[in-house]
Amino acid sequence: MDVKETIFKSVFFAASILSAGITLFILGFMIVLALPILKQGLFFDMLTGPWAPDHGLFGLGPMIIGTICIALMALVISFPVSLGCSFFIGILNPRGLGKWLKKIIESMTAVPTVIYGFVGIFFLVPLVRELFLKGSGMCILSAAIMLSILISPTMILFFVQSFSMVPQNDLNAVDALGGNTAQKFFYVVLPHSWKGMLTGIILSFGRAMGDTLIALMISGNSVAFPGSVLDSARTLTAHIALIIAADFDSIEFKTIFLSSIFLYIMTSFGIIMSRFSFKKRKTINET
Amino acid sequence: MPMTENIKINIKNLWFYYNDHPILEDISLEIPQNTITAVTGPSGQGKSTFLMTLNRLWESIEETRIKGHIEIRFGSDFQNIYDKRYNVSDLRRQVGMVFQVPNPLPMSIYNNIAFPLKLKGENNKTLGSFRVEDALKRSFLWDEVKDRLNEDARALSGGQQQRLCIARALVLNPQVLLLDEPTSSLDDKSGRVIEDLLLELKKDCTMILVSHYLDQVKRIADSGMVLSDRQMKQQW
Amino acid sequence: MKPEFFDRLFNYFSWGCSILLVGAVLTIVGFLIANGYQSLNLHLIFDDTRPLDAIFLKSQVFDGLFPAIAGTLFLITLSIIVAIPLGLATGIFLAEYCPPKIKGSFSLLFDILAGIPSIVVGLFGFCVTIFLHHYFYTRLFPCLLISALSLAFLVLPYIIRTTQISLETLPLSVRLTAPSLGATKLQNIFYVLLPSSLSGILSGIILSIGRCAEDTAVIMLTGAVATAGIPKSVFSSFEALPFYIYYISSQYSDNSELMKGYGACLILLFICISLFVFAHWIKKRLSQKILYRP
Ligand SMILES: Nc1ncnc2c1ncn2[C@@H]1O[C@H](COP(=O)(O)OP(=O)(O)OP(=O)(O)O)[C@@H](O)[C@H]1O
Ligand SMILES: [Mg+2]
Repeated sequence: MDVKETIFKSVFFAASILSAGITLFILGFMIVLALPILKQGLFFDMLTGPWAPDHGLFGLGPMIIGTICIALMALVISFPVSLGCSFFIGILNPRGLGKWLKKIIESMTAVPTVIYGFVGIFFLVPLVRELFLKGSGMCILSAAIMLSILISPTMILFFVQSFSMVPQNDLNAVDALGGNTAQKFFYVVLPHSWKGMLTGIILSFGRAMGDTLIALMISGNSVAFPGSVLDSARTLTAHIALIIAADFDSIEFKTIFLSSIFLYIMTSFGIIMSRFSFKKRKTINET
Repeated sequence: MPMTENIKINIKNLWFYYNDHPILEDISLEIPQNTITAVTGPSGQGKSTFLMTLNRLWESIEETRIKGHIEIRFGSDFQNIYDKRYNVSDLRRQVGMVFQVPNPLPMSIYNNIAFPLKLKGENNKTLGSFRVEDALKRSFLWDEVKDRLNEDARALSGGQQQRLCIARALVLNPQVLLLDEPTSSLDDKSGRVIEDLLLELKKDCTMILVSHYLDQVKRIADSGMVLSDRQMKQQW
Repeated sequence: MKPEFFDRLFNYFSWGCSILLVGAVLTIVGFLIANGYQSLNLHLIFDDTRPLDAIFLKSQVFDGLFPAIAGTLFLITLSIIVAIPLGLATGIFLAEYCPPKIKGSFSLLFDILAGIPSIVVGLFGFCVTIFLHHYFYTRLFPCLLISALSLAFLVLPYIIRTTQISLETLPLSVRLTAPSLGATKLQNIFYVLLPSSLSGILSGIILSIGRCAEDTAVIMLTGAVATAGIPKSVFSSFEALPFYIYYISSQYSDNSELMKGYGACLILLFICISLFVFAHWIKKRLSQKILYRP
């Protein structure tokens, strides 16, 4: 009997080590593959420089700028909308409609990104092209709009969850003092929930940065530094998808390892940060 | 020493801590065989915890610590139940427990009662069904459930569920039975049925009964203890 | 300023944002339906082949979605077969055995794994394949197996976390029942704890299936191609629904192909939403209804 217990415990342990090992191994493997270019000491040049393979320039600058622009803009579009929706669900909840909105938003998490990309190409891109009468419509703006729809469920669900952690007593107290909804929000809800909201924002940003298909399909993938939101841009994820067809031993190919490392580190950093704020909030609730 | 002949459980200098916070302080107690010992006291004083020290169930709870010595006499010898070589599953088969809230498992009535046998690895079907029937009869439940043994146990009434849990604890013929407020979730009538059942069980078992009801304690217990301020005091 | 003004502003803002978002979702779905509903028929899936012949692999479908749907199904099955045991075992370890000190670092690692962009996981799978191809087995190329393994890593953290959380949130009374009857730790886990947390674990698994069905970035790097037919073995390349959609969107040559793209979108959307609804249904019902028969 005891032998069986020990065997199973070891199996469970081995599985955990394997799963955890893979996580670290992904990073390790990418670093090893990127070593040839890391060794040349070109790390920072590559992160900031322009991309012009014909001139022997393999900088990821445009892609990093593109990634950040698109993700940030998606965040900027999505944030107010998400805020409004979570007010609707968590605070206003008119005639129980909040529950239904929440259901719709939860099921949005199941929509494949490739579908957002597809609708982006055939619906949004022509629309943007018509509206602004400039370029092809494949631009930062189009990608950001689609991405903002993609990430809004994450943000809203986090917001709603943090709103629900606000003690009902405090809310009642404001009501008893004759406070209005806005006051209730600024004086009671926000102080209690901003950390949870921050977590939601960080994680949605990570999701926006990590998405491949939307940017690949509708941001145009140009390798120039973008000048405006109507310019085409290429994200790091799209860069990986596009360069994968190149020769494995070329320098071009090596740059995608650098892209991966950058993405890996950025998302991990976001998760560590969000955990930090989450922990803090928990202890606040306990006291 | 004729006295030790009758002692079933011997507790010496027992301390218990949750998160380094003492719940029981230096408790010493001797419990005679084939008796019902009642433990009463205010809520949250550690009555349930005390019971869990006797079958080592607290070991499944995180951040707990114990100090002291507990012996239970199985047959003619006292067994230190915290002895490293002593198997905890064996202990729990000898020291049955019934919880405050009935906790039938999500399976049929029959399988609930047979569950401890399955855990023990006893696969003899006929012997098994005989013991299940015996346990159900001893807990006064047989007549009510004999035609519906394959129904989900959670469909029983509260009192029936509690008797089911007693039957489940009895199926392995334990020598000691720990009862944590077994009638607290029941109405008076079902409570009385359980009381009669416990009196009946006295001939096979030594029982420790946690209860809030003083009249109940007076009716059935041979001795009464009060647990408060981390101390155990004999009342009668 | 008057407080009513704020209240009203707040109201309008909330309503406005909600209508905007719901409107966007309806537009997306409506756009797909409006353009794609005509192409939704058996011909879309099986082309001119008889459906039963296609399903029993008697004859090949050349111009329908059947190979893509089949590829997606194979892919899901394979990756779930890998991910479930690994994820369950890890979740059990975290919830039941892991010392509190290292639990934090383990959980952090799995959160990080959940956050890694899927294209990075895909690239990892691709590079491992190339590596193995160079040094060990020259006949290995990106294929169904590699895709499935990469996807398994992608969904692993979901299964781990749902398992862990379902186990950890079981009430103490459930946790202590079997040990009080003489169960060993392992018996408790297999006879009581896992069955009691089944609904949580199952819904985690179904959500992972949805993730496998929709992911495109991983498979486009690890073996999905535009035309492959039904995969003959796990070492052959394959078609998949999401990759097909991506491919059509950039490479369609005429309107009828584009129509098939819309049809594929609708089918994929339907599969993913159904899985999602199913997962929620299980989470809600399984614990109450199926296990509890009054
Ligand atoms: N898992 C735990 N972690 C930390 N403290 C606990 C835990 N369980 C119980 N306690 C504390 O230990 C003390 C004793 O608890 P116990 O359940 O033994 O009380 P009790 O006397 O049985 O109360 P009641 O009559 O309400 O059942 C309580 O103060 C409780 O807060
Ligand atoms: Mg108690």
